Amino acid sequence: MAYKYTLEILTALAIGTFCILFLYTNSTMSGAEFAGSDNAGSGLIAELSGTLKENFHPLIPQWKPPSNEIEACLFALQAAVGGILVGGVFGFWIGQKNKA
Amino acid sequence: MHIMEGFLPWQWCLIWWIIALPCLMLGIYQLKKVLASDREALPLLGVTGGFIFILSALKLPSVTGSCSHPTGTGLSTISFGPWITSVVCAIVLLFQSLFLAHGGLSVLGANIVSMGVVGPLVGYAIYRLLRDTFVNIYITVFLVTALADMFTYVTTSLELALAYPAETGGIVSSFVLFMGIFAITQVPLAIVEGIVLALVFKYIVALKPDILIKLKIFSEEKINAARSAT
Repeated sequence: MAYKYTLEILTALAIGTFCILFLYTNSTMSGAEFAGSDNAGSGLIAELSGTLKENFHPLIPQWKPPSNEIEACLFALQAAVGGILVGGVFGFWIGQKNKA
Repeated sequence: MHIMEGFLPWQWCLIWWIIALPCLMLGIYQLKKVLASDREALPLLGVTGGFIFILSALKLPSVTGSCSHPTGTGLSTISFGPWITSVVCAIVLLFQSLFLAHGGLSVLGANIVSMGVVGPLVGYAIYRLLRDTFVNIYITVFLVTALADMFTYVTTSLELALAYPAETGGIVSSFVLFMGIFAITQVPLAIVEGIVLALVFKYIVALKPDILIKLKIFSEEKINAARSAT
């Protein structure tokens, strides 16, 4: 029983360390923009191929969220769908267990 | 890990689509079989797939000063294997290419191969290697999750390096450059993801040990050992 909450404690420590690392990086690293690594990757592609980033065009026409707010909304929607699935099933299992 | 639309020459898009499609078809076939044989598998699929939805929506900051997202494929890989995981990843990646301009339809094949095929395959290999040993199941879940995440980004780097070899040093040196952007950013995220999903697995073991035994995900002895230890 001594190890009952080992994983919970480890998770809390890991998330705590992660946040501290972020705050440290954010305050010390100059030029840290925290943009997506996808963008950094595309920048390197432009560099390696000698073509300007603006000159890459979608092969298949693509809809782009018109603003960051709408993008954030759609990402939140994706996470919400996942959250509903996870929460719903855990609730269902708890119900099954209590009934048995 | 998304390669952006238009940033991969069409020949490479085609190659990755050709690799991705059979994996998806195998996944759909396996999915039908699992759900037909056991109705209890559906909730487990909901939880493991749900975490792919949640975690791949979270773009987290990392020590390199850029942001990246975990993949969340570990639990699904352990529970249902790499091919069914490919199908779930394909759904998420399709949503992101249609509505978020993350990835795109032409590069979808390449993105499915990195997140849904190679990452889960590496994770599945680790799982099979450790399943019947004395290694604790939570350590197994941690390793599978963290490495499936890491290898997703290693694969993205490789896909880009193959398409864009550097003028000096060729594929190898551009692979190193892409790894510098994708893989190093990913290390802390993969470790945190591994620990979090190990904790989630603890709750699945606590609530629904019978389904894990029934689907032969872990042996009864191992599940009981994990239950009595925590």
